[in-house]
Amino acid sequence: MAARGHVQDPNDRRLRPIYDYLDNGNNKMAIQQADKLLKKHKDLHCAKVLKAIGLQRTGKQDEAFSLAQEVATLEPTDDNSLQALTILYREMHHPELVTKLYEAAVKKVPLSEEYHSHLFMAYARVGEYKKMQQAGMALYKIVPKNPYYFWSVMSLVMQAISAQDEKLAQTMFLPLAERMVEKMVKEEKIEAEAEVQLYFMILERLGKCVEALDVVRGPLGEKLTSELRSRENKCMMMYQRLQLWPECNALSYKLLLKNPDDWQFYLSYFDSLFHLMDKSWSQPEEGEHCVEGPVQTTVAEAVKFVVDRMEEQDKKESRPLRGPYLACLELIHRLRQRGCPDEKELGDPLELMVQFFGKFGDKPCCITDLKIYLHLLPPEQRSQFKNRLGELVPLGEAGEDGFGFPGDTKALQRHLCVCQLSRALGLQHALDTEGKLRLITELKAHYHHGLQFGKSCLKTELQFSDMYCLMAAHVYIDLWTETGDENMLWQCLGMLEEGLSFSPSNAQFKLLLLLLFCRLGAFQPVVDLYSSLDAKHVQHDTIGYLLTRYAGSLGQFAAASQSCNFSLRFFHSNQKDTSEYIIQAYKYGAFEKIPEFIAFRTRLNQSLHFAQVRTERMLLDLYTEADVTLSLEESVKAMGVCPEEDDIPWDNMRDNRDLTVLVSWDPKDRELTEEHRRLSLEEESVWLKVRALTLRLLASLALLGHAPSPWNSDKTNENGISAKSSTLQTLLSQLDQTLETAAQITEKHTQYPFLGPPSSRLASALSSGSCHCQASALQLSLTLRELETTGLDDSSELQTQICNAFKSSVAQLQEMLSRCKGEVLEMKDGRLKTQPSLLETLVFFVETVCVVLWVASYSANVLRPLKSSLQKKKKKKKDSSTAMPVVMCGFQEWTGSLHGVVTQALDHVKGQEASLTALKLAALTLEEGYSQTQEECGFTRAAMDKVQTSYLGSLQEMGDLLRKRADSLKSLKI
Amino acid sequence: MTTLRAFTCDDLFKFNNINLDPLTETYGIPFYLQYLAHWPEFFIVAEAPGGELMGYIMGKAEGSVAREEWHGHVTALSVAPEFRRLGLAAKLMEMLEEISERKGGFFVDLFVRVSNQVAVNMYKQLGYSVYRTVIEYYSASNGEPDEDAYDMRKALSSDTEKKSIVPIPHPVRPEDIE
Repeated sequence: MAARGHVQDPNDRRLRPIYDYLDNGNNKMAIQQADKLLKKHKDLHCAKVLKAIGLQRTGKQDEAFSLAQEVATLEPTDDNSLQALTILYREMHHPELVTKLYEAAVKKVPLSEEYHSHLFMAYARVGEYKKMQQAGMALYKIVPKNPYYFWSVMSLVMQAISAQDEKLAQTMFLPLAERMVEKMVKEEKIEAEAEVQLYFMILERLGKCVEALDVVRGPLGEKLTSELRSRENKCMMMYQRLQLWPECNALSYKLLLKNPDDWQFYLSYFDSLFHLMDKSWSQPEEGEHCVEGPVQTTVAEAVKFVVDRMEEQDKKESRPLRGPYLACLELIHRLRQRGCPDEKELGDPLELMVQFFGKFGDKPCCITDLKIYLHLLPPEQRSQFKNRLGELVPLGEAGEDGFGFPGDTKALQRHLCVCQLSRALGLQHALDTEGKLRLITELKAHYHHGLQFGKSCLKTELQFSDMYCLMAAHVYIDLWTETGDENMLWQCLGMLEEGLSFSPSNAQFKLLLLLLFCRLGAFQPVVDLYSSLDAKHVQHDTIGYLLTRYAGSLGQFAAASQSCNFSLRFFHSNQKDTSEYIIQAYKYGAFEKIPEFIAFRTRLNQSLHFAQVRTERMLLDLYTEADVTLSLEESVKAMGVCPEEDDIPWDNMRDNRDLTVLVSWDPKDRELTEEHRRLSLEEESVWLKVRALTLRLLASLALLGHAPSPWNSDKTNENGISAKSSTLQTLLSQLDQTLETAAQITEKHTQYPFLGPPSSRLASALSSGSCHCQASALQLSLTLRELETTGLDDSSELQTQICNAFKSSVAQLQEMLSRCKGEVLEMKDGRLKTQPSLLETLVFFVETVCVVLWVASYSANVLRPLKSSLQKKKKKKKDSSTAMPVVMCGFQEWTGSLHGVVTQALDHVKGQEASLTALKLAALTLEEGYSQTQEECGFTRAAMDKVQTSYLGSLQEMGDLLRKRADSLKSLKI
Repeated sequence: MTTLRAFTCDDLFKFNNINLDPLTETYGIPFYLQYLAHWPEFFIVAEAPGGELMGYIMGKAEGSVAREEWHGHVTALSVAPEFRRLGLAAKLMEMLEEISERKGGFFVDLFVRVSNQVAVNMYKQLGYSVYRTVIEYYSASNGEPDEDAYDMRKALSSDTEKKSIVPIPHPVRPEDIE
């Protein structure tokens, strides 16, 4: 902890043990020590604050807060108290209180540089830009140091960035910032690089690109030294914005001569060239030439430039650069786009790509490089291209199996690259089933053969031949998706498991295994696979979806909850973490980073995945716990869900998922497109909306349930209740609308690439019938609400309506349950067949049972007082002949039927468990007809066992939950 | 065939192909933000024409100038598997060295697992030598023993006599390094 500088101060000596206890996490002792000290020294405020920190860290927030406020109201000005309070408020997530603290302190000690600077930082933490601007100037007036002045300037820029009104930014904040900097320039007071950077940033945002260029190219620009090529980069940016194509072209040319491998400058070189051609620009004959040097304006010049660069590389003895050769293909691509015949000057794309392969075919990135330009080949040249490449791969004599193998890793890489290219050209997809099976055999043979080169590899390294294994897996998946033959999938799993045993760090193997197990509905093996990826922090946002999409939907609620927690922990720390570094950026003058950090924080806060895990986590808690340990109402209150509040940024949702994390060499027409991304986000958002509305509806139901009955309460309460039921009504109609949109979306039947985003749960939710059953159950709660107000007399129509709703909810549940029937795993004709969709449907059924039972419990709460008042009346009249009202009978019948459905469901689950357990996978013969080695069969068997165990796990978890729900039925007597 | 540019926060969403490597640590957000706030010029990423991130280097400048210990430090250097064997790591190291030169550093240093022979050899080829061994610098998680690190250095032009790289014969403990 801070503030232990002055050894002389006796208070420091006294406080030290408390600091030490806190530092060591010994909060109890810290509190005791503080108490001891406070007995002797009542006015040692800091001891109180330190005690409050101890209290806060032991979960006594309220006590800590009031203790802190005792000190804060005294407006302390001692360092120790101020810093301790700052720490405490930050831990309490109340950074705004720190500003109050230092506002008071600077009032009392107006000349303190330190307190003013703390005040500035406190404002920065909460983003009070205007106050920051003032605080920065106040600081500068006390101590005229440049950084303080520029803190104030930057705060103006932040006001501009955050202004809702762009006009205000352009006419007020930015011009003011500009004038402030200009003043310093005129007075020749500019000192640091950061100040020039900031000046540039302001001019750029003002669109004053000419002025910005002058700054960069002038004497101030000489200060821009930290970053490599800082001045050139900034000039280039401005040339492009100003469309100064001659300058852009000349500078690109110059930079490429220096580094002919820097791709960005080829792009700007070609861009500028074509702009100049379009404008028929010509070199001015006399006078001013381009400041950046010679400009190239013709295709001929560009062709020569690229050819020269290639020749330069050709002459090199070692390590030629790829840039020039790819630039040549890029130029052909662009010329072709423009319909320019000059592309022939550069040569035939096929020959150029063969040449490229000759030079770089042994590099693993060769496929990534060439993939971009495969479209330059006409379809009829594809096979020819592949054959030409094959000639450049040195393979040994073909053995019995007809395959020749590479003699070293370079030859292996070349051969692999040809396989990758032929996949990317669509040649693998064009094969028939027989051809694909033969291809798999070949790839496997190469995989196993290649393992010999990596015998000495550490387990952190990849095997040289790993990618053969991965590609064979892709072909297996092709076969599975085309023919539906599940054996392909089992063999694929076996092969990947085998691959992982030789290459335990291969993330691609793990990712694909993970995806396949999920598709098979087996979540248990996924947990270990994911954790062995060691995904952390921001990766929870980018690849966490792989876990959270499936865990809950497959009924592994405990694992689902845990996966949500991993992600939530990351998101919740984000807010606090980023603020700290925004402040650091001010301190170090990294002004460009400040808006970047803020945008980053926003991107995380608006993450689709964040909203999903937030919602799913709460729903999971309700499904597994509400009315089991706590009542629904208590659960909802503990979560702090407010039915009226929607905290999801629907209009600004950010999809941070990394949807290309799985390697793919598929041809362009099978790749993930922007349209896929858009559709996936749309689908996930609608599903999220369904879930978020369900959650809020449940919260609404819980609060409705607690409302006192109208006849023993006054009018104001009645208003309260009608407000609650109108919330429920509003949410229900929103749910209806969302379900309509959902139906439209699922009608599109969007298919994503196998290695792309998983489909959302939307389609299966709708087809399971769960959404509509839940919605009508919730609607029923509203009708019951009505009965509560109307009473039993004169409500026969309403009662009949309710009874019908009771019956129809049972029928809906029955129907859902019937959709769960079937064998999730069975042996048929010596083959293993899975039906993972049955598991998903069962999960929806279980979730819906929970919802219906909560509504039933609410109904019981409504009917109970009605019944008892009826009985009172009966006693008075001593009339035993009055028949029981329809709704009461209906309710009893309903709970009976619900009990019946839940029992049936339990029997079904038990039956499934029994048949799963009885399934002896060992009896399965795997070898027949397929070219699997004994080892591979072993791995396939292991994968099958994992699937079987996982299914059992899911069924057990569903069964347990159903049993708990069946118990809660007992309390529904009225 | 590479675009070299400053690393930005948005790159954190795209670096999985680099960071899913077992020897590449994914740090908490604060760690990256600290480097971006304090030493943005030392954090460089290489991007392929298709937009994939190829690799990155993250470093800083630290040490006392008076004691001639002011130097550049490589905190992380990683290249995605498919972009290896292109000399990209060397290129990124060269850039970090140039920035350290400009800042008047006396040397550049880095820590590497003693078991990571591929990396150790690469650094040796780039002119680095083992300055000292740091015992149990890398803490292991899954019950395996902690691992030693080599502290490797390369002298820059300010260190005319190459004093900074004279090896220390005895290994040191992590708490003894500055």
